[in-house]
Amino acid sequence: MTNQPLQKVDHSALKANQLTIILLNILAFVFNLPFLAALVAAVMGLGSLLKLPGFILLYRYFYKPLGLLKPDILDDNPEPHRFAQFLGFLFMAAGSAALFTGAGALGWGLVWLVVALAALNAFGGFCVGCAVYYWLGILKVSGFTKTAPAGIFPGMKPKAR
Amino acid sequence: MDVLTRAGIALLIMFGGFGLSLLYQYWARLRTPDLFPDLGTLRPGASTLVYFTTPTCAPCKTLQRPAIQQVSQLLGDALQVLEIDAAQRPEVARRWGVLSVPTTFVIDPRGKVRHVNNGVARAEQLLIQLQRG
Repeated sequence: MTNQPLQKVDHSALKANQLTIILLNILAFVFNLPFLAALVAAVMGLGSLLKLPGFILLYRYFYKPLGLLKPDILDDNPEPHRFAQFLGFLFMAAGSAALFTGAGALGWGLVWLVVALAALNAFGGFCVGCAVYYWLGILKVSGFTKTAPAGIFPGMKPKAR
Repeated sequence: MDVLTRAGIALLIMFGGFGLSLLYQYWARLRTPDLFPDLGTLRPGASTLVYFTTPTCAPCKTLQRPAIQQVSQLLGDALQVLEIDAAQRPEVARRWGVLSVPTTFVIDPRGKVRHVNNGVARAEQLLIQLQRG
Protein backbone atom coordinates (compact mmCIF):
# COMPACT_ATOMS: atom_id res chain seq x y z
CA MET A 1 0.00 0.00 0.00
CA THR A 2 1.41 3.42 -0.89
CA ASN A 3 0.68 6.71 0.72
CA GLN A 4 0.57 8.98 -2.32
CA PRO A 5 0.02 12.73 -2.10
CA LEU A 6 -3.55 13.90 -1.71
CA GLN A 7 -5.37 15.72 -4.47
CA LYS A 8 -7.89 18.53 -4.42
CA VAL A 9 -11.40 17.09 -4.32
CA ASP A 10 -14.48 19.31 -4.49
CA HIS A 11 -16.76 17.74 -1.90
CA SER A 12 -19.63 19.96 -2.98
CA ALA A 13 -19.61 18.22 -6.38
CA LEU A 14 -19.87 14.90 -4.54
CA LYS A 15 -22.64 16.27 -2.35
CA ALA A 16 -24.57 17.54 -5.40
CA ASN A 17 -24.26 14.04 -6.86
CA GLN A 18 -25.57 12.45 -3.67
CA LEU A 19 -28.45 14.91 -3.25
CA THR A 20 -29.53 14.35 -6.86
CA ILE A 21 -29.36 10.57 -6.44
CA ILE A 22 -31.47 10.80 -3.27
CA LEU A 23 -34.06 13.10 -4.88
CA LEU A 24 -34.43 11.15 -8.14
CA ASN A 25 -34.62 7.79 -6.37
CA ILE A 26 -37.32 9.02 -4.00
CA LEU A 27 -39.26 10.42 -6.96
CA ALA A 28 -38.80 7.11 -8.78
CA PHE A 29 -40.22 5.26 -5.78
CA VAL A 30 -43.12 7.63 -5.10
CA PHE A 31 -44.25 7.75 -8.75
CA ASN A 32 -43.32 4.10 -9.38
CA LEU A 33 -40.92 4.92 -12.20
CA PRO A 34 -38.39 2.10 -12.56
CA PHE A 35 -36.95 3.79 -15.64
CA LEU A 36 -35.95 6.79 -13.48
CA ALA A 37 -34.06 4.45 -11.15
CA ALA A 38 -32.45 2.89 -14.23
CA LEU A 39 -31.52 6.36 -15.47
CA VAL A 40 -29.84 7.13 -12.12
CA ALA A 41 -27.97 3.82 -12.41
CA ALA A 42 -26.88 4.68 -15.97
CA VAL A 43 -25.64 8.14 -14.97
CA MET A 44 -23.72 6.69 -12.02
CA GLY A 45 -22.23 4.06 -14.32
CA LEU A 46 -21.25 6.70 -16.86
CA GLY A 47 -19.72 8.79 -14.09
CA SER A 48 -17.71 5.77 -12.93
CA LEU A 49 -16.44 5.27 -16.47
CA LEU A 50 -15.49 8.93 -16.86
CA LYS A 51 -14.07 9.09 -13.31
CA LEU A 52 -16.41 11.95 -12.44
CA PRO A 53 -19.43 12.34 -10.17
CA GLY A 54 -22.33 11.24 -12.40
CA PHE A 55 -24.37 14.40 -11.93
CA ILE A 56 -21.40 16.78 -12.18
CA LEU A 57 -23.14 18.82 -14.89
CA LEU A 58 -26.03 19.58 -12.54
CA TYR A 59 -23.47 20.82 -10.00
CA ARG A 60 -21.75 23.02 -12.58
CA TYR A 61 -24.86 24.43 -14.23
CA PHE A 62 -27.51 24.29 -11.50
CA TYR A 63 -26.38 23.91 -7.89
CA LYS A 64 -23.31 26.17 -8.13
CA PRO A 65 -24.70 29.04 -10.27
CA LEU A 66 -27.83 29.21 -8.08
CA GLY A 67 -25.65 29.36 -4.97
CA LEU A 68 -27.23 26.19 -3.55
CA LEU A 69 -23.76 24.73 -3.03
CA LYS A 70 -20.42 26.48 -2.81
CA PRO A 71 -17.15 24.75 -3.74
CA ASP A 72 -15.73 22.82 -0.79
CA ILE A 73 -12.27 21.81 -2.02
CA LEU A 74 -10.41 19.53 0.37
CA ASP A 75 -7.20 17.49 0.29
CA ASP A 76 -8.46 13.97 -0.28
CA ASN A 77 -8.15 10.87 -2.46
CA PRO A 78 -10.58 10.86 -5.40
CA GLU A 79 -10.31 7.08 -5.95
CA PRO A 80 -12.39 5.98 -2.92
CA HIS A 81 -15.19 8.33 -3.99
CA ARG A 82 -15.12 6.86 -7.51
CA PHE A 83 -15.23 3.39 -5.99
CA ALA A 84 -18.16 4.43 -3.79
CA GLN A 85 -20.03 5.68 -6.85
CA PHE A 86 -19.25 2.44 -8.65
CA LEU A 87 -20.62 0.43 -5.71
CA GLY A 88 -23.73 2.63 -5.81
CA PHE A 89 -24.00 1.97 -9.54
CA LEU A 90 -23.85 -1.81 -8.93
CA PHE A 91 -26.64 -1.61 -6.35
CA MET A 92 -28.72 0.66 -8.58
CA ALA A 93 -28.17 -1.57 -11.62
CA ALA A 94 -29.18 -4.66 -9.63
CA GLY A 95 -32.17 -2.77 -8.21
CA SER A 96 -33.29 -1.59 -11.64
CA ALA A 97 -32.91 -5.08 -13.08
CA ALA A 98 -35.01 -6.43 -10.22
CA LEU A 99 -37.68 -3.80 -10.85
CA PHE A 100 -37.88 -4.63 -14.56
CA THR A 101 -38.15 -8.34 -13.83
CA GLY A 102 -41.01 -7.91 -11.38
CA ALA A 103 -39.07 -8.25 -8.11
CA GLY A 104 -40.41 -4.95 -6.81
CA ALA A 105 -39.58 -5.40 -3.12
CA LEU A 106 -35.96 -6.35 -3.84
CA GLY A 107 -35.60 -3.61 -6.46
CA TRP A 108 -36.96 -0.80 -4.30
CA GLY A 109 -35.06 -2.19 -1.32
CA LEU A 110 -31.80 -1.79 -3.22
CA VAL A 111 -32.82 1.67 -4.40
CA TRP A 112 -33.56 2.70 -0.79
CA LEU A 113 -30.24 1.26 0.32
CA VAL A 114 -28.48 3.58 -2.13
CA VAL A 115 -30.61 6.48 -0.84
CA ALA A 116 -29.62 5.66 2.75
CA LEU A 117 -25.91 5.44 1.93
CA ALA A 118 -26.02 8.65 -0.10
CA ALA A 119 -27.85 10.41 2.76
CA LEU A 120 -25.28 9.18 5.28
CA ASN A 121 -22.58 10.66 3.09
CA ALA A 122 -24.38 13.92 2.26
CA PHE A 123 -25.68 14.67 5.77
CA GLY A 124 -23.39 12.66 8.04
CA GLY A 125 -20.07 13.10 6.23
CA PHE A 126 -19.41 9.36 6.21
CA CYS A 127 -18.78 7.61 2.89
CA VAL A 128 -19.39 3.88 3.33
CA GLY A 129 -18.01 3.05 -0.14
CA CYS A 130 -14.81 4.95 0.69
CA ALA A 131 -14.52 3.05 3.99
CA VAL A 132 -14.88 -0.22 2.06
CA TYR A 133 -12.14 0.98 -0.34
CA TYR A 134 -9.75 1.77 2.52
CA TRP A 135 -10.49 -1.53 4.28
CA LEU A 136 -9.83 -3.43 1.06
CA GLY A 137 -6.54 -1.53 0.92
CA ILE A 138 -5.73 -2.59 4.49
CA LEU A 139 -6.48 -6.19 3.42
CA LYS A 140 -3.94 -5.63 0.61
CA VAL A 141 -6.44 -6.27 -2.17
CA SER A 142 -4.83 -5.38 -5.49
CA GLY A 143 -5.81 -1.97 -6.91
CA PHE A 144 -6.81 -0.43 -3.56
CA THR A 145 -3.61 1.49 -3.00
CA LYS A 146 -4.64 4.69 -1.25
CA THR A 147 -4.76 5.19 2.49
CA ALA A 148 -7.09 7.56 4.34
CA PRO A 149 -5.73 11.11 4.85
CA ALA A 150 -3.69 11.41 8.05
CA GLY A 151 -5.77 11.81 11.19
CA ILE A 152 -9.04 10.98 9.41
CA PHE A 153 -11.07 7.88 10.15
CA PRO A 154 -11.40 5.88 6.88
CA GLY A 155 -14.53 7.06 5.11
CA MET A 156 -15.00 10.28 7.09
CA LYS A 157 -14.92 13.60 5.28
CA PRO A 158 -11.52 15.31 5.68
CA LYS A 159 -11.41 18.64 7.48
CA ALA A 160 -10.58 21.95 5.87
CA ARG A 161 -7.00 23.08 6.44
CA MET B 1 -49.93 0.90 -4.46
CA ASP B 2 -51.00 4.40 -5.40
CA VAL B 3 -48.83 7.52 -5.34
CA LEU B 4 -50.11 8.65 -1.93
CA THR B 5 -49.30 5.32 -0.28
CA ARG B 6 -45.84 5.37 -1.82
CA ALA B 7 -45.31 8.97 -0.72
CA GLY B 8 -46.40 7.93 2.79
CA ILE B 9 -43.92 5.05 2.81
CA ALA B 10 -41.16 7.37 1.56
CA LEU B 11 -41.99 9.88 4.31
CA LEU B 12 -42.00 7.11 6.92
CA ILE B 13 -38.58 5.89 5.78
CA MET B 14 -37.18 9.43 5.77
CA PHE B 15 -38.60 10.23 9.23
CA GLY B 16 -37.33 6.85 10.39
CA GLY B 17 -33.84 7.76 9.23
CA PHE B 18 -34.12 11.15 10.90
CA GLY B 19 -35.36 9.47 14.08
CA LEU B 20 -32.45 7.05 14.05
CA SER B 21 -30.04 9.94 13.68
CA LEU B 22 -31.70 11.69 16.68
CA LEU B 23 -31.48 8.45 18.69
CA TYR B 24 -27.79 8.19 17.86
CA GLN B 25 -27.23 11.77 19.02
CA TYR B 26 -29.18 11.06 22.24
CA TRP B 27 -27.12 7.92 22.85
CA ALA B 28 -23.93 9.88 22.21
CA ARG B 29 -25.07 12.47 24.76
CA LEU B 30 -25.90 9.75 27.32
CA ARG B 31 -22.37 8.41 26.98
CA THR B 32 -20.80 11.74 27.89
CA PRO B 33 -21.01 11.52 31.73
CA ASP B 34 -18.78 8.42 31.55
CA LEU B 35 -16.24 10.48 29.70
CA PHE B 36 -15.52 12.95 32.44
CA PRO B 37 -13.18 10.74 34.50
CA ASP B 38 -10.76 11.30 31.63
CA LEU B 39 -10.70 15.01 32.42
CA GLY B 40 -9.79 14.96 36.09
CA THR B 41 -11.43 17.63 38.23
CA LEU B 42 -13.47 20.23 36.42
CA ARG B 43 -13.34 23.73 37.89
CA PRO B 44 -16.74 24.42 39.52
CA GLY B 45 -18.79 27.18 37.89
CA ALA B 46 -16.57 27.39 34.82
CA SER B 47 -17.28 26.29 31.28
CA THR B 48 -14.83 23.77 29.91
CA LEU B 49 -13.32 23.45 26.47
CA VAL B 50 -11.89 20.01 25.76
CA TYR B 51 -9.48 20.25 22.87
CA PHE B 52 -8.20 17.14 21.09
CA THR B 53 -5.03 17.60 19.06
CA THR B 54 -1.91 15.72 17.92
CA PRO B 55 1.69 16.95 17.53
CA THR B 56 1.52 16.53 13.74
CA CYS B 57 -1.74 18.44 13.27
CA ALA B 58 -0.84 21.63 11.39
CA PRO B 59 -4.25 23.39 11.58
CA CYS B 60 -4.25 22.71 15.33
CA LYS B 61 -1.10 24.80 15.72
CA THR B 62 -1.83 27.50 13.19
CA LEU B 63 -5.58 27.98 13.66
CA GLN B 64 -7.15 26.11 16.55
CA ARG B 65 -4.70 26.86 19.35
CA PRO B 66 -4.59 30.63 18.62
CA ALA B 67 -8.40 30.69 18.54
CA ILE B 68 -8.60 28.92 21.89
CA GLN B 69 -5.97 31.23 23.40
CA GLN B 70 -7.98 34.23 22.19
CA VAL B 71 -11.17 32.90 23.77
CA SER B 72 -9.33 31.94 26.94
CA GLN B 73 -7.91 35.47 27.31
CA LEU B 74 -11.36 36.97 26.81
CA LEU B 75 -13.15 34.73 29.31
CA GLY B 76 -10.39 34.39 31.91
CA ASP B 77 -11.37 32.23 34.91
CA ALA B 78 -14.81 31.55 33.46
CA LEU B 79 -13.23 29.07 31.07
CA GLN B 80 -11.14 26.00 31.71
CA VAL B 81 -9.26 24.58 28.71
CA LEU B 82 -8.20 20.93 28.71
CA GLU B 83 -5.90 19.87 25.90
CA ILE B 84 -5.66 16.17 25.10
CA ASP B 85 -3.03 14.72 22.80
CA ALA B 86 -5.02 12.11 20.86
CA ALA B 87 -1.80 10.43 19.72
CA GLN B 88 -0.60 9.94 23.30
CA ARG B 89 -4.03 9.05 24.66
CA PRO B 90 -5.82 7.24 21.81
CA GLU B 91 -8.12 5.39 24.23
CA VAL B 92 -9.47 8.70 25.52
CA ALA B 93 -9.98 9.97 21.96
CA ARG B 94 -11.83 6.76 21.11
CA ARG B 95 -14.10 7.05 24.17
CA TRP B 96 -14.96 10.60 23.19
CA GLY B 97 -15.70 9.53 19.61
CA VAL B 98 -12.94 11.71 18.17
CA LEU B 99 -12.30 10.71 14.56
CA SER B 100 -10.10 13.61 13.49
CA VAL B 101 -8.20 16.53 14.97
CA PRO B 102 -8.76 19.26 15.88
CA THR B 103 -11.97 18.41 17.70
CA THR B 104 -13.32 20.63 20.46
CA PHE B 105 -16.07 19.91 22.99
CA VAL B 106 -17.85 22.78 24.74
CA ILE B 107 -19.03 21.74 28.22
CA ASP B 108 -21.26 24.06 30.23
CA PRO B 109 -20.66 24.85 33.96
CA ARG B 110 -23.13 22.10 34.92
CA GLY B 111 -20.99 19.54 33.12
CA LYS B 112 -23.19 19.02 30.06
CA VAL B 113 -21.59 18.73 26.64
CA ARG B 114 -23.26 21.47 24.62
CA HIS B 115 -21.35 21.56 21.34
CA VAL B 116 -18.92 19.41 19.41
CA ASN B 117 -16.75 20.94 16.69
CA ASN B 118 -15.18 18.49 14.30
CA GLY B 119 -12.45 20.48 12.57
CA VAL B 120 -11.22 23.99 13.22
CA ALA B 121 -13.62 26.11 15.28
CA ARG B 122 -12.95 29.82 15.05
CA ALA B 123 -12.76 32.04 18.11
CA GLU B 124 -16.09 33.76 17.34
CA GLN B 125 -17.81 30.41 16.96
CA LEU B 126 -16.41 29.13 20.26
CA LEU B 127 -17.42 32.33 22.02
CA ILE B 128 -20.99 32.04 20.76
CA GLN B 129 -21.15 28.40 21.83
CA LEU B 130 -19.73 29.18 25.27
CA GLN B 131 -22.09 32.11 25.78
CA ARG B 132 -25.11 30.04 24.77
CA GLY B 133 -24.00 27.56 27.41
